[in-house]
Amino acid sequence: MTGIGAAGRLVQYRLENGMRLVTAPASTGQVAAVNLWYGVGSRHEVPGRTGFAHLFEHLMFQGSGNVAKGEHFEEIERLGGDINASTSSDRTNYYETVPAHALDRILWLEADRLATLRDGMTQEVLDNQRDVVKNERRQRYDNQPYGTALERILRLAYPEGHPYHHPTIGSMADLDAADLDYVKSFHKAHYGPDNCVITVVSELDPEDVRARVEKYFGDIPAREVVPQAPDAVLRAPLGGPLRDLVVETVPAAGVFLCYRAPAYGERGFDVAHLLSAVLGQGQGSRLYRSLVVDRPIAADDGGAAADVLPFRYTDSLLLVNMLARENVDGDTLEAEILAEVAKVAQGVTEEELDRARAVLERDHLQSISGPAGLADAISSCTQLFDDPELALTWPARWQDITAEEVRAAAERLLVDENRLVVRFDPEPAAAAEALEAEAQASAAAADAADA
Amino acid sequence: MSQNRPDLGTPASYTFPRPERITVGGGTVVAIDVPGQYLASVRLVHPYGGAVEPLDAMGVGALTSEVLEDGPDGNSSLAPALERHGAEWVSRINWDGFITGVDVPVGRLGEAVRLFADAVRRPALVPDDIVRRREQLLERFWLEAATASTLAMRSLGGQLFTGRYATPLAGGPVKLADITPEAVAAYHADTLASVAGTLVVVGDLSGVDLVELGKTVFGDTAPAPARTITEPAPPPGELPRVLVVDRPGSVQSALVIAHRAPSRSQVDLPRAEGIGEVLGGMFTSRLNLELRERLGYTYGAGARFDLRRDSGVFFMSAQVEADTTAHSITSSLEQVAKLREGGVTEEELTAVRDANTVGLPVTYSTARSMAGALVDMVVHDLPDDHVDTVRAGYERLTKKDLDSAAVEYLRPEEAVVIVVGDAERLRSPLAGTGVGPIEVRTPDELWV
Repeated sequence: MTGIGAAGRLVQYRLENGMRLVTAPASTGQVAAVNLWYGVGSRHEVPGRTGFAHLFEHLMFQGSGNVAKGEHFEEIERLGGDINASTSSDRTNYYETVPAHALDRILWLEADRLATLRDGMTQEVLDNQRDVVKNERRQRYDNQPYGTALERILRLAYPEGHPYHHPTIGSMADLDAADLDYVKSFHKAHYGPDNCVITVVSELDPEDVRARVEKYFGDIPAREVVPQAPDAVLRAPLGGPLRDLVVETVPAAGVFLCYRAPAYGERGFDVAHLLSAVLGQGQGSRLYRSLVVDRPIAADDGGAAADVLPFRYTDSLLLVNMLARENVDGDTLEAEILAEVAKVAQGVTEEELDRARAVLERDHLQSISGPAGLADAISSCTQLFDDPELALTWPARWQDITAEEVRAAAERLLVDENRLVVRFDPEPAAAAEALEAEAQASAAAADAADA
Repeated sequence: MSQNRPDLGTPASYTFPRPERITVGGGTVVAIDVPGQYLASVRLVHPYGGAVEPLDAMGVGALTSEVLEDGPDGNSSLAPALERHGAEWVSRINWDGFITGVDVPVGRLGEAVRLFADAVRRPALVPDDIVRRREQLLERFWLEAATASTLAMRSLGGQLFTGRYATPLAGGPVKLADITPEAVAAYHADTLASVAGTLVVVGDLSGVDLVELGKTVFGDTAPAPARTITEPAPPPGELPRVLVVDRPGSVQSALVIAHRAPSRSQVDLPRAEGIGEVLGGMFTSRLNLELRERLGYTYGAGARFDLRRDSGVFFMSAQVEADTTAHSITSSLEQVAKLREGGVTEEELTAVRDANTVGLPVTYSTARSMAGALVDMVVHDLPDDHVDTVRAGYERLTKKDLDSAAVEYLRPEEAVVIVVGDAERLRSPLAGTGVGPIEVRTPDELWV
């Protein structure tokens, strides 16, 4: 059973080489979801090598000792399976969902690249995937309106040299500088079974799954040298308000507010998460009601104006983002958002808190309602907190948080000194056209009134 | 790593769960019980997609879909009410159906469905709400079209069709502006308020009274009438041709190479979709291997059919570095030509056949995906064993089937190439491709 149906039915093992395995039951038959979380992310990158953990994620699909380039994808697609991977600041995950009869093949493919990736890596493959990632950067950041917002936020939120100062995509120059020796040393440093959690969601008996994982991964040795974790301690407060004003081709003014919040896993983070939901998650949230429905000066985002960006090893971020309606300038929108944000410190009602809990619980349930999502949540909670059951019980963390705690968090966190703003304003030509249209509209309205 | 690659073994045979069907009043409940799946997906399907909207009210369906969120009390009251029950509101229109619903924990199903039914049947339809939603939708059109790939896809209809399909589903930035609150109210009265539709329910249904759910949703509404199907006409213009939608300063170009295809009921699904997968429907498809994995021009390239009740579209798409735009187009067309001339490989045939047979347990591993399949069956009048029938079709698929499908369904000589990018930088390289005449437009000129 997925979702709450899996409660009490997770089984955890640790192999001798340090690899952690969790098994969980699936609610639909004949599938196996396999999910691996490696404890390496962009926080492990050093200056001049940004973007490497993510580029490396691409290389993991490009062949290993016994698997040809492209073959890993091909195997899964032939099975009608789902396959992908992602990189964040904290970790890199790899996942596939396949028909249950293919579980051994998947485990073997994953084990092969863990054990022998360095044997299959070539300069040609590196050059090709470097180009692919540079195009990914163009698609998601450089050719996309507001695409550089996160990069700008991280630059302001964490000081130079801090491991969370840069985004996972990295810079074009650093991507160009990647070399084959570094690829191999990165794999050796971070890709060991002792740095991996594997979760298998299926109908199979847990002992059966354990035996299979042991068979394919059990002989892979743990890393001999474990690299020292980067120092992610923040030695000074944000020192806000900080701001970055960007004037470029965007369709409307965009306001991105960001506040430092407690690290992922701390109670303070959960409070901040509820705070973000009160403010800007769902159409019952304050920002939606106030700035989209009542005024209305912000574009309809469907109720997705605020969220938290969870970081396990440093301060997380609470983000607020809205785009302006036509004829509304960035200054006006920013001032109105700030006014709404400031009001939370004056009080949060029980009804608002109940709604916020329900919204977060629904999202959580949705995320673990299928085998792939359940496997991912379990890997996450095991890798980051060594507690797989948390994947199922997470909503309970919100139950005893009070409205006063949320209000107090707002009073403490949502202040000028802890705030940064990234503002996108349309280029002057577009802005001038908008003002002209506004003037014409005002004139027309005046004419109508006269009539 | 001492082990050899393990054998796959024998896949278990898969059968899509046979839904329970119950007639309640003028409507039908179609349900699948998934024990242990405590988040239920509920969908109400009405046979009123964008394709049947009157030409003088294009976008009325999309606007009505938005306005339903204002709820029976108006002023955006619905979503907050549902949020308190942990339910997520679903409302969308596509070319062939109007689909509303909720995803909700099964323990709250009854309360959520009561709210949902009220919202669909008895919305307040306050004129001020409708005007606000209309203006928001109009602005959102341009916000979304600021993304190059979205703009490219929205440019497609006007290149392949006349009539309703020439204008985007939400009515486009001009036509939508003409929709009045009265038009929305009339549309709602005729299509949603009075027509029962079909209710899809998937989740752990132990203890759920489906007849009661049906009564709540259908009330005394009438059965849905049969729909008429009319094949839309193509617009004039030489084929193949190139449309450049100017987006100055773009470091990438969004490409769509598209042509018309038969309607859903006219195509042999395994053959058509199978050849689409070989060309661009998988990571290991020819377009992706060429444009991404060999040339490094893109983060990803793909292709697929969009099959509607009365017509279809086939398209290839990618976002490529600006300076590789022209070569990306000629390379894509070369891949199509190779496939048409040389047919598929045995490996490709096996991949397509297996992916769509043994892979079905993965495809239907969530309540949402099962509900999606049921909605598809309702919209296209397909039988309850549709998934199994298509699976059997894939099991029978031969190389000859796919080779002939390449010739029958891939028609580059009838294609329109849409490029959203920096026109000044692209004009000369695009002329060098020899694909066909080139027209340059600004986004503002696309929908007048």
